[in-house]
Amino acid sequence: MEKQTNREGIKGWLNPTRYGIERFAYWLMRLTGLGLLAYFVAHIIETSTIVDGKDAWDKMLELTQTTEGHIILALVIGMSVFHTVNGIRVMLGQGGIGVGKPGRPDYPYNKPASLNNKHKLCIYASIGLAALAMLYGLQVMFGV
Amino acid sequence: MRESVVMKIHYGTALGAVALVAIHILFRMTQNFADSLEFESVIANYEFLPYALLLEVILVLISIHGFNGLRVILLELRQGRTYEKAVTYGCIAAMAAVIIYGSRTILIAGMGIV
Repeated sequence: MEKQTNREGIKGWLNPTRYGIERFAYWLMRLTGLGLLAYFVAHIIETSTIVDGKDAWDKMLELTQTTEGHIILALVIGMSVFHTVNGIRVMLGQGGIGVGKPGRPDYPYNKPASLNNKHKLCIYASIGLAALAMLYGLQVMFGV
Repeated sequence: MRESVVMKIHYGTALGAVALVAIHILFRMTQNFADSLEFESVIANYEFLPYALLLEVILVLISIHGFNGLRVILLELRQGRTYEKAVTYGCIAAMAAVIIYGSRTILIAGMGIV
């Protein structure tokens, strides 16, 4: 059997244009997941400076309590909200909630019931909520 | 372990982490954000046993969820017996390292050895 090559590789995985908003949510879920994991590990390292005493802690705070630090934290807030809300949508979908009844694919092969407006709406809502949470986070951090 | 069981753990840890991280964030909002990050305030948080336990549980839940998520992403990109084993054991090792390192901070700060 001829070996099939993965022609597009990671570029194919990252291309959000071909399959609509569901595909966009798929890669955004993974991208936010990786971002949050990176932040989580950095947060563990960052908070560990407390065991070195007050001076080390204050020095670390000086690094993070900057405009850039606040913007990164706002991005983390946005990523967390999107990842959470979209994750709940995925869990409900895998549990059969909101995906419609399965049916035989007959001609003229309309869209499958799973690709319905309920889930699309949830994706848009998760993006909107993430944006709102980011704005709220920026407001708290910058004290505007 | 069956992949279906792993996914149930993945979803369970996600739901648990969401609830507990919400409490963790609310703790930061009980006072001014900058004040809550003062050395004395953070140490007081660590010395409060229920909060220290909450941090430990969050650490374990997010480590399991995060590194299993990374494993899933890496397995979607490429497959193969050796590769899959390397990814699985690599993620377990990284998860254990993060849990041990984070627990060390919680333990030292919580016992007041700072």
